[in-house]
Amino acid sequence: MRVWLFPLLCAGCLVAQDMPLSQVLVEGEAWQLMAEGYGFTDACAADAEGNFYFTDVKNGTGIFKLSPEGQLSVWRDGLPGISGLQFGPDGKLYACQGKQERLIRIVPGSGEVEVLVTGVRPNDLVVNAFGTVFFTETKTQQVHAVSPAGVHRVVHQGDIVRPNGISLSPDQGTLIVSDHGGKHVWAFRVESDGSLAYAQPYMTVVTPYGTDESKGDGSTTDAFGRYYVTSEVGLQMFDPTGRLGGVIASPAPKPVSVEFAGPGLAWIYLAADGKIFRRKTASHGVLFQSPPVPSLTPPAQTR
Amino acid sequence: MQWMRMTGVWLLAAGLLGITQGQDESYKKGPDSVRKPGVPQGTVTKAKWTESKVFPGTVRDYWIYVPKQYDGKEPAALFVAQDGGGFVTEEGAFNAPAVFDNLIQEGAMPVTIGVFVNPGSIPPVEETSKPRSNRSYEYDSLGDLYARFLLEELLPEIGKSFKISGDPRRRVICGNSSGGICAFTVAWERPGEFGNVISHIGSFTNIRGGHVYPALIRKTEKKPIRVFLQDGANDVDNLHGNWPLANQQMAASLKFTGYDFQFVYGEGKHSARHGGAIFPDTMRWVFRDWKEAK
Repeated sequence: MRVWLFPLLCAGCLVAQDMPLSQVLVEGEAWQLMAEGYGFTDACAADAEGNFYFTDVKNGTGIFKLSPEGQLSVWRDGLPGISGLQFGPDGKLYACQGKQERLIRIVPGSGEVEVLVTGVRPNDLVVNAFGTVFFTETKTQQVHAVSPAGVHRVVHQGDIVRPNGISLSPDQGTLIVSDHGGKHVWAFRVESDGSLAYAQPYMTVVTPYGTDESKGDGSTTDAFGRYYVTSEVGLQMFDPTGRLGGVIASPAPKPVSVEFAGPGLAWIYLAADGKIFRRKTASHGVLFQSPPVPSLTPPAQTR
Repeated sequence: MQWMRMTGVWLLAAGLLGITQGQDESYKKGPDSVRKPGVPQGTVTKAKWTESKVFPGTVRDYWIYVPKQYDGKEPAALFVAQDGGGFVTEEGAFNAPAVFDNLIQEGAMPVTIGVFVNPGSIPPVEETSKPRSNRSYEYDSLGDLYARFLLEELLPEIGKSFKISGDPRRRVICGNSSGGICAFTVAWERPGEFGNVISHIGSFTNIRGGHVYPALIRKTEKKPIRVFLQDGANDVDNLHGNWPLANQQMAASLKFTGYDFQFVYGEGKHSARHGGAIFPDTMRWVFRDWKEAK
């Protein structure tokens, strides 16, 4: 499976390199507790400076910010029930405010709220570099899109038992959605008009013994094109061809959201059990508000 | 002197290592894998499959080999290879068209239509994006999806142009690495369609759950499948599993359950060299009684 052997096997066919956990985890680097005392931490997001954002979707009213140095502050208060966050290419912070049944964006500085869609219960979202917002609506089994011009439509319905976490490939050509109620992560091709095509249960998630419910939740992507999905059994990593790389143990029960942030976006942040943890990695994240980039290729490694 | 002795040990170790590394490269194609003067040559035609319903959105190349002796009157045998592009090229480890030409002429295998299929990929919308590789999804997944792609989509289309035997004993499915476990899965799921499997350096490991086959083989009523396995002691050991151990487990399970199988275990690495070098003999073994099966 070493990449340099494959030309012998089949010239021209698409094969991927092995991506064991050892390419990501750093020996001796453990999870660090960054924040605690919340009801239900969620909605992890990052900016280009490595600041990390999260909410307390159960009890809180604010959007919290952790600086790369670990300084905690309230970025915006008075917006309860946010379960998904990401900055758009316009610099505004897009948010799923399910309890208020709306998708909004917040203008930095003024804190002004712009309402994009009402009458929906968005769970999690991703905004691409064109400014198209994709969000999951778990109960209706739908994936929605909102164009930069504000046109809202459903772009996928059914197949996924409880669509939840959502992310993109680094080149933003593939969109993935986790299934809280199933055992797959689904992949789609993002069409030029912002619709989705060719849904496929591309990744198979490890589930607890005796059930096909993965509790697959928050999802993110690193610069090498690996996908990370929180689940009942831990943080699951997949390679760009959908093969499980491994399960990273969660430092607390019920991990629900994940993002790369911190210095160099090289730290993986995890929301679990009302707390925020982070851990230094040998990888780093990508920001979808920035232009699409090709995935990096890690050095060959087989352990 | 201690230093001298140590140096000697290191030189010996380096020498052994050299031998080991050389053993993969020592597998070379024999006379049956090259063109022989006077042997009729079949044709190889390249095509593209873009309309899959089993794997929506995928495109893939495939090649059809038709031997010179095929006349369309008698049904031909069938050989299907995954990662097909690697099997049809003259420079590749297999050079299957030349092997088939030689063996058909010799009578060691029947007149056989070869179908060499590449894995699918979903092309990107933007030129700057990468295609979504479907190889692992198609090859490493257990279940009948890939078998359905072959039997409901690709082969019926090819069957419109060629008369192909429906006897599973005259239908062979083959592959390397993930293509090897894929070949096994197709026959395992559809033994009435494919009665022969050839797997080189097969990925009977946990890429997508394929490590369970040795256990399944032992506790499933024997299926009418003839299985050829090849692996090498220097094949990979990685996050998905240990290829030499997995193939030994497969062989032990096939033996336990009483399958008609052969396991060639050499010194090779995760490459097609050994499988390619012995490919003519593998085809002879698979088709050793082909005249009894129509």
